[in-house]
Amino acid sequence: MASVVPVKEKKLMDVKLGELPSWILMRDFTPKGIVGAFQRGYYRYYNKYINVKKGSIAGVNMVLAAYVLFSYCLSYKELKHERRRKYH
Amino acid sequence: MLSRVVLSAAATAAPCLRNAAFLGPGVLQATRIFHTGQPRLAPLPPLPEYGGKVRLGLIPEEFFQFLYPKTGVTGPYMLGTGLILYFLSKEIYVITPETFSTISIVGLLVYVIKKYGASIGEFIDNLNEQKIAQLEEVKQASIKQIQDAIELEKAQQALVQKRHYLFDVQRNNIAMALEVTYRERLHKVYKEVKNRLDYHISVQNMMHRKEQEHMINWVEKHVVQSISAQQEKETIAKCIADLQLLAKKAQAQPVM
Repeated sequence: MASVVPVKEKKLMDVKLGELPSWILMRDFTPKGIVGAFQRGYYRYYNKYINVKKGSIAGVNMVLAAYVLFSYCLSYKELKHERRRKYH
Repeated sequence: MLSRVVLSAAATAAPCLRNAAFLGPGVLQATRIFHTGQPRLAPLPPLPEYGGKVRLGLIPEEFFQFLYPKTGVTGPYMLGTGLILYFLSKEIYVITPETFSTISIVGLLVYVIKKYGASIGEFIDNLNEQKIAQLEEVKQASIKQIQDAIELEKAQQALVQKRHYLFDVQRNNIAMALEVTYRERLHKVYKEVKNRLDYHISVQNMMHRKEQEHMINWVEKHVVQSISAQQEKETIAKCIADLQLLAKKAQAQPVM
C-alpha cells in the first residue's frame, strides 16, 4: 500500500481509485485555497487556449458551450413540462 | 534587539555562521544572503505559436487521446452519437421550437467561421504585428540613443588626450604677453632718458644763443655810440657823392 510518492503530492490523474477520498480530504479547503484553485484553473485554461499567437475560435467556443450546457441544466425544471411523451 | 533577530536568522540561513552567533551583537553585521536561486522566466519565454488542439471546435484533443488505447479512432465519435441518441430518446434534451432556431443559428455561425475565419485571423495578426513593430521601434530608438551617448562619451574621453595643445597655446600666449610688456617698458625707459638728455641740450643751445645775441647787441651799441656826429655827416656826404656818380653811370648806360 505504501506508494513511492505520498498521496499528498500526486496529481488527480495519478491517484488510484481507492485513494480518492483521502486525496479529496487532503486538499486545501480554506478560502485562500479555493481562490487559489480557481486561479490556477483559470490560468491553465487561459495559457493553453487563449494566450497564444494564433489562437482559434475554440478557446472562446468551449467556454460558450459550457455556459450553454450549464444554463440548460438550470432551466431543465421548466423544460420538463414541454416533453412530447410522458413515459420514456 | 533587531540585530539579535538578524543574527539568529543568519545562523539558520547559513550554518557556517552559527558559530558567529556567539559573538556580540555589535561585532557581526547583518549578513543575510539574497538572490541565491536561479532566475526563472528571464529572459521571458516567447508565446506559444498555436493553442491546444481542439476537434470540432468543442472537444480538446486530449479526450480523443485518452480514449484511443481502449476504443481506437472511432471510439469518441461513437460515444458522442450514443450520448446524443440517448438524450433525445429519453428526452433529457427536449425538442422545442428553440431547437430549430438553435440549429439554424449554429449552422450560420459555422458557415461564416469556415469561410471568413482565416482572413479575420490574418487581419488581427497584422494589428498585433503593427503593435509589436511600434514597440520594437521604441526599443531600437532607445538602444541607438544609448549607443550615441556611449560614442559621445568615448569621443570626449579621447579629447582628454589632446589637452596638451590647449596648455601649449596658453603658455605661448603668456610668453608673448610678457615679451610685449618687457618691450613696452624698455621703450618707455628709452623715451624718458632721451627726454632728459634733450632738455639739457636745449638748455645749452639756449644759453649759447642768448650769449651770442647779447654780445652782438653790446658790440652794436658800442659801435653806434662811438660814431660821433661829425663823422656821421662826412659819411653821409660821401655816400651821396658816390650815389650821384653811380646815377650818372647808370644814365649813360641805357642810352647806348
